[in-house]
Amino acid sequence: MRIAGDTIGPRGIAVLAVSAVVGVLLGLHGWSGRHNGLPSTLASSAPRPSAPARVSRPARSPATTSPATPSPATPSPPPSPGPKLSSQSYASYSYQVWPGPLSTAAKAAATGLVIAVHRHGSGIMVTAGVAGRPAPTPRFYPAGAKVFVVEAALGDDSGNSDYNLGDDGLVVTNSQERILQ
Amino acid sequence: MSNTAWRNRAASKSARSKASLPAPDRARAGDLADRATQVTAEWAPTAARVLLGLVLAWFGYHELMAPQLWTGYVPVIASGSGLALAAVLVHGWVLLMLAVAITAGVVLRLAAAVAALLLVQIVVTLTITGGLTDLTLRDVGVLGLAVCLTGATRQRALLTA
Repeated sequence: MRIAGDTIGPRGIAVLAVSAVVGVLLGLHGWSGRHNGLPSTLASSAPRPSAPARVSRPARSPATTSPATPSPATPSPPPSPGPKLSSQSYASYSYQVWPGPLSTAAKAAATGLVIAVHRHGSGIMVTAGVAGRPAPTPRFYPAGAKVFVVEAALGDDSGNSDYNLGDDGLVVTNSQERILQ
Repeated sequence: MSNTAWRNRAASKSARSKASLPAPDRARAGDLADRATQVTAEWAPTAARVLLGLVLAWFGYHELMAPQLWTGYVPVIASGSGLALAAVLVHGWVLLMLAVAITAGVVLRLAAAVAALLLVQIVVTLTITGGLTDLTLRDVGVLGLAVCLTGATRQRALLTA
């Protein structure tokens, strides 16, 4: 058979058919696991113990943390601890941003996000959002909390732009690295 | 020194260097160079095909396996929506099919043309959203590879049967 000037035989058709089926099976696997990883958004969801919050829209500037600035926001009650960060699928691409110092990887992972951490009384206030967008309400976490930025693929960052915020998120854990958000 | 003078000096140096080799060695060196050129001409398009196929397969596989990580790239549609997820899955499936077709050489030119169109869409979208950056220009290079394969007529290891 000839298609667009190229010959295709039974073997070629078989190879394409097999790969089509494999593609559908992989797609079904991907669809069934669509809630794994980074499903919630900072703007819209309450804290979820098993998943990091995801930043919702594109933006373009590096993350910042400031060590000792008081926040005017009202503290919200700290969420209850969830599973350990190390037990989550995204643990391998979580980078600690608080307490510092920031590693090079963490700086790269925070591209396009604005993450601000301030000491506040006996704990810390964490604000995480997308650069160029209004900052969401800060959240309070008790002393010893650690803040991680999640970036599944650093290859989508260029300069201070992050092309795909779908694989970015924020995780806050307690001192035992159990997930608070 | 002018360009012409420099070229003349280089040519005469090269000629002296060749003349210093015995005649059989010169012939053998010439044969080797010809053979290398021939092999490159025969297999370079195949290498291009396999490498482009690898790129498409890698992205297709990851889009199918973890579509939720790729929805941020979907233009217009909200990244958290099911529609964006479905769009990523369809895109991943198409990439996987193109990867297989291009690597195996099944309807190669058509597959390469479709891949080129997809890459044009990706380059345009990335340019609109983020401007011309290193990422965008890297995709321009991959687009060039796909465009070359669209017109390739000399290929080895094609699955035409």
